[in-house]
Amino acid sequence: MPLSREAIVEGLRGIVGPDAVVTDEKVLVESSVDNFRKLQNIFDVHTMPVPAAIALPADTAQVARVLTWADDNGVNIIPRTGATATEGGLESVVPDSVILDGSAMNEIVKVDPYNMQATCQCGVPLQALEDRAREHGLTTGHSPQSKPVAHMGGLVATRSIGQFSTLYGGIEDMVVGLEAVFPGGEVCRIKNVPRRAAGPDIRHIVIGNEGALCFITEVTVKLFPYFPENNVFLGWTLKDMGLGFEVLRDVMVNGYKPSVARVYDPGDAGIHFSHFAAPDDCVLLFMAEGAAGIATATADGIQAIVDQHPECTQVPSEYIETWFNDLCWDASKITAEDERIRQTRNVNRTTEISADWSSINEIYQAAKQRIIDEIPDITMMGGHSSHSYINGTNMYFNYFFNVVGVGPEEETEKYYLPIIGIICEETLKRGGSIVHHHGMGKARAPWVKDEYGSSYSMLETLKRSFDPNGVMNKGTIIPL
Amino acid sequence: MTALRIAVGFKVTPDYEALRPADWARAATGPSAHGEAVRYVRRVFNVFDEAALELALRLRDARTERGLETSLVAFSVAGREADPFLATLQALGYEGARVEPDADLDFAPATTAALVAAATRHLGGEVLLLGSRCGPGDTGLVPFLAAEALGRPSLPGVTAVEPAADRLRVTFSAGDQPLRATIAPPCVLAVGNALVSLLRVPTLKDRLATRDRVVTTLTPADLGVDVPAALSREPSALVGLETIDRSRAGVVVAGASPAEEARALYEEHLHARLERI
Amino acid sequence: MAGETPRIALVLDATGAAAERHAQALGGFLRDGLRFSPEHPADAVTHLFYAEESARERLLALAPTRLVRLVRAPPHRPDLMAAALAAFAAGGGAELFVFGGPLGAESAARLAARSGGGVLTGVLDAVAAAGALSCRRHVSSHHLIGRFELRARPWCVTLDAGWLDAGFEPPAEHVVQASTELREDDSSAPRLCDDVEVFEPPATSDLEAAQFLVVAGRGAGGRAGVERIATAADRMGAAFGVTRPVVMNAWAAPDRQIGVSGTRAAPAVCIVAGSSGAPAFLWGVERAGFIVAVDTDEHSAMAGEADAVVLDDAVTVLEALADIVARERL
Repeated sequence: MPLSREAIVEGLRGIVGPDAVVTDEKVLVESSVDNFRKLQNIFDVHTMPVPAAIALPADTAQVARVLTWADDNGVNIIPRTGATATEGGLESVVPDSVILDGSAMNEIVKVDPYNMQATCQCGVPLQALEDRAREHGLTTGHSPQSKPVAHMGGLVATRSIGQFSTLYGGIEDMVVGLEAVFPGGEVCRIKNVPRRAAGPDIRHIVIGNEGALCFITEVTVKLFPYFPENNVFLGWTLKDMGLGFEVLRDVMVNGYKPSVARVYDPGDAGIHFSHFAAPDDCVLLFMAEGAAGIATATADGIQAIVDQHPECTQVPSEYIETWFNDLCWDASKITAEDERIRQTRNVNRTTEISADWSSINEIYQAAKQRIIDEIPDITMMGGHSSHSYINGTNMYFNYFFNVVGVGPEEETEKYYLPIIGIICEETLKRGGSIVHHHGMGKARAPWVKDEYGSSYSMLETLKRSFDPNGVMNKGTIIPL
Repeated sequence: MTALRIAVGFKVTPDYEALRPADWARAATGPSAHGEAVRYVRRVFNVFDEAALELALRLRDARTERGLETSLVAFSVAGREADPFLATLQALGYEGARVEPDADLDFAPATTAALVAAATRHLGGEVLLLGSRCGPGDTGLVPFLAAEALGRPSLPGVTAVEPAADRLRVTFSAGDQPLRATIAPPCVLAVGNALVSLLRVPTLKDRLATRDRVVTTLTPADLGVDVPAALSREPSALVGLETIDRSRAGVVVAGASPAEEARALYEEHLHARLERI
Repeated sequence: MAGETPRIALVLDATGAAAERHAQALGGFLRDGLRFSPEHPADAVTHLFYAEESARERLLALAPTRLVRLVRAPPHRPDLMAAALAAFAAGGGAELFVFGGPLGAESAARLAARSGGGVLTGVLDAVAAAGALSCRRHVSSHHLIGRFELRARPWCVTLDAGWLDAGFEPPAEHVVQASTELREDDSSAPRLCDDVEVFEPPATSDLEAAQFLVVAGRGAGGRAGVERIATAADRMGAAFGVTRPVVMNAWAAPDRQIGVSGTRAAPAVCIVAGSSGAPAFLWGVERAGFIVAVDTDEHSAMAGEADAVVLDDAVTVLEALADIVARERL
């Protein structure tokens, strides 16, 4: 017999205290979706089951008690911190879910400049940690667009990646240890060490679990020296995305580590760079950073590589630097974007995938063409590669469409999901991964078996073992 | 009712919000430094011009529904940076034109207004819609100077325009006072804080259908405007720029207890200020 | 006229709304915003445009100078005003026209165009010398201040909105120099409107209009803390707002929210209690004259954006402050 909504609220109040349980109807309705169905909040038309409550635990012990209670009573828990998810991971797809919101656990526990690591609770905004690191002349090296609004717990839970990943890596390369609470209330701490070979690296059970296995309460991440004065910016225009991927590959396989290495296709370049790029231009850009010698050598090496391609036309570095200085999304930009959608019904969506160097251009070309041909009302279809590795890169599809002839709540089904479907199909067909860094959420969960192939049994075993009663974020990663 | 031609003058500006304090400090080193400091940032429609462009489309749509013939022309006094924006406008049903000024008109409202008025005469447009003001000058003078040059009446702070028989019903604002009036073209409408502030977006198919359309390019000579002479008669001249410091003192109020801190806060900072309220 | 002060015409368009505020702006500017080089007392007369005979005496009392020229004119006709003033300028009546009123920019532009003079809007301050009027105004979307020179006379300027709150007492007595009337057919311009409807200006919320504002943030610690801060604000006679996290936590009603998704306030004094100062919130209070931050976190963005900072528990400090203010002020 499932608990009533009233009993759920009472149960939570008994654990975290009455002031830390949110039952305001408007807040709950808005919390039934994340940015995957953001039009529901923008137009205030909601279709998802409304969560029963939001609980804001004060510490790990309260998290453990909530998860014990949830496991005992079969209450679905949706872990959350900064609430910036884009793939439906925070959607409440079953009735009477509880959002377990760690944003009140926002203490920076320790910044340790000697051992170059910092420990913080899950609800610390990345920007706050970065600001504290900067006071020591250090940086987290992690800079997703959501930096001003995302929190550390959520960033680790979704295997976030930042704009400087080509130098610093993704969050999985930064987390040295953590604390997480599993259903039933078990608190597990993974200690902070430089490396270990004591069996499998169990950090990776937690990093990227998307709240489907556990609740992350604390993380320890690496710190890096910060030399913004040494940053070097380089940019070129070129006519061919294929050549852009080739140049990125050359830079990576020659061992250079720029912090930013990107190539934009003409559509996407038109949004950011039309003040210097022609309508059919791609834009290739790099940022080299670090100690002076490293930054200079990196920039020189990249310059020499691109110089071998006369099809690339160099542009003044100020264009790239100015673009770079305005990359992050703060609250006011998000508000402005919501207003844009409300007025124009023109919606911007993104889907990111990865593949090896042999396949990436084919995936980009095939998916782009199919979307233009098969999806109505497209106003821009483009994308860029922004995170490169020695064996391949990502493709960040960036697309806009007008919502025509349906209500805003139907945008996901009419446009967004069919586009995601095309991108996933074309990626899987060529052996790529359907998710590079936003997480599976509920949006891409339908493709999970094709993504994992024969390793899907490992994923299922993890879910069964850690969450036997299925109370952790139902529908995320593994579909209902 | 006769056919109506609507002209909209627009400007693309650097996205000022994307600039940092250091960029503004550089811009303030002299009148000629301003253009250099802002040139590397992406371009956007001047916000009031964007509203004007969408209001004109909505007026056309409303007239079309009533079976009234309407044509639209959008023009900018600008270099090639306006071309991508003109392509978008053409895909939305505007004819596009560009007046190449061959001089920096950033702080030259009268010269700009002379070119806008001459372009309106050349391209046609019984109704001329312009944004209320535009950076970097932000004087708000261009619509009124253009109206004066065209010998037309104008309305400020326009927020909505609807067809009303053979006239237009215009909602506008004088200061904070909302007003509505019926006017007969020809006229100049200065678009202010309209609720409709963002331009609709053409589909890729619309763009494909209009991509071979040519943007009319005009020179000041084509329009009979002597730009150097007009610049020498500008009614004001920019002679310098200053930055604005918005950081605040952050004086820490000390006290051994909350009560002492409150007392110090009141006496040192609040008492006199609250007296004045 | 080297060595002499220019004759100044303050143009008060009282045919529309907010005549009192515009009169204050003109008077405040004449008192505090306009300087002469070399120093001279101002020689100014007010051109008062009014529409209704019944309002004439009330409006005359607002005139910021002792000398007044009264002009009865139809409302919302800056073209007519410009024509009348151009004739006045041509007759040597004034060299500097300062416009106050909702249609000042259009009147100034048309007057300058007709009389070959200089024009500038939104002026913060001005120095009149023999050869030129030097003015400062905001440019580049309020990111910079530009310094401008007007050479050709008459100089026609409108004022920055900041002058609307200048706090100016008009003279107790006025001398009417002339009294005229403008008619529709006085203008060669095409007739503009035949049926102007006037609407009520939108109501401003108490938060928007508040001169003294207290804002509670998440640092209040819970609904009880927010309510204690609200009570303290009430005892001090301050309006009460909250940050988004407070609304998100349902500790206060959504219509109390300050910031990009709520109200943008512009109080003379603003006390921010228990907020870290998210940019979207700061936008809502950045126009405040004086900002106090009360919070335990000395590293918060709020501390850097405040004029004064109290590093202590928000609720306790606000209650202590309310005791003092209630005792001393009310």
